[in-house]
Amino acid sequence: MNCPIESREPEILVAYAAGELELETARALERHLDGCAACRLMVADQAVVWRALDAWEAPSVSPDFDRRLYRRIDDGVRLTWWERITRPFRPMPLRQALPLTASAGLLLMAGLLLQHPTPVAPAAPAGQIVRANQVERTLDDLELLRHFNAADTDQSPHPDAM
Amino acid sequence: MAILPALLLAAMAGGQAKCQQEPEKPTAQQILENSIDRWNRMSPEERERELAKLPPARARVIRQRIWRYNHMRPEEQQALRERYQTFSQLSPEKQQIVRRRLQEFRELPAARQPIVHREVERVRLLPEAQREATFNGEPFRSQFSPAEQAMIRDLSTYLPN
Repeated sequence: MNCPIESREPEILVAYAAGELELETARALERHLDGCAACRLMVADQAVVWRALDAWEAPSVSPDFDRRLYRRIDDGVRLTWWERITRPFRPMPLRQALPLTASAGLLLMAGLLLQHPTPVAPAAPAGQIVRANQVERTLDDLELLRHFNAADTDQSPHPDAM
Repeated sequence: MAILPALLLAAMAGGQAKCQQEPEKPTAQQILENSIDRWNRMSPEERERELAKLPPARARVIRQRIWRYNHMRPEEQQALRERYQTFSQLSPEKQQIVRRRLQEFRELPAARQPIVHREVERVRLLPEAQREATFNGEPFRSQFSPAEQAMIRDLSTYLPN
């Protein structure tokens, strides 16, 4: 497999991190990852982004949200021309600004990583995420091979072994 | 708000990366690594997070199967890892052929399995020409059914050690 970074096809790394690759493509990529620190780091970074997005929870909406929203829309209609001009420049409350800034930061970082992945020393193997269904497929293959290996020995495989 | 420019600067300072192909890894442990090994290296939280994406019953079965794999006798596990390594280096098409043959093998009557297995192990050690002569010989054809012959032919060819 050609290096996705060198061939400017980082989408395959993103798809791999999201668990969306076909088994064969994923295996070919994994063989490449074993020897390519830059790709490995990018996959690990992608996994961090996915985990951050998975962990993010949208704040719940209060029961009177609609009522307050429509009241504010009505208030907006009654704004003076000066208030309408200056409203977008008013400082945003910190509570609203923080999640927005964090989300924007994450998206920008992901974009920058796609364009400019940082060179690194060999990445720590602990950063690699293996999908559960990928493990399941490997277990299926191992089970078939195990049954075959054990066919001519005294220790025949247990029916539900592995 | 000041953290965003800092993050951007830090990201941009990284600059353009070059893919760093590492030298070949010679040790057996690295050569034989498979996705179960990588799974075992993940943190317990990461593993649980991945399993949580599956229905609970399926996740429980996977946990049990990994536990059994991790608790196999070392020599048995090593033999399995080596054979899986050979298998995983095949092209996807050949993997599919081997997978199908192994499934067929598992469905053979219990009495036939050791016989077919022994023949695979015997034939795989033969030189190419001798192996072909075996496949075309009358004893082979009379001793094994067509399905068994196909199993022996493919498994001895694609799983050569």
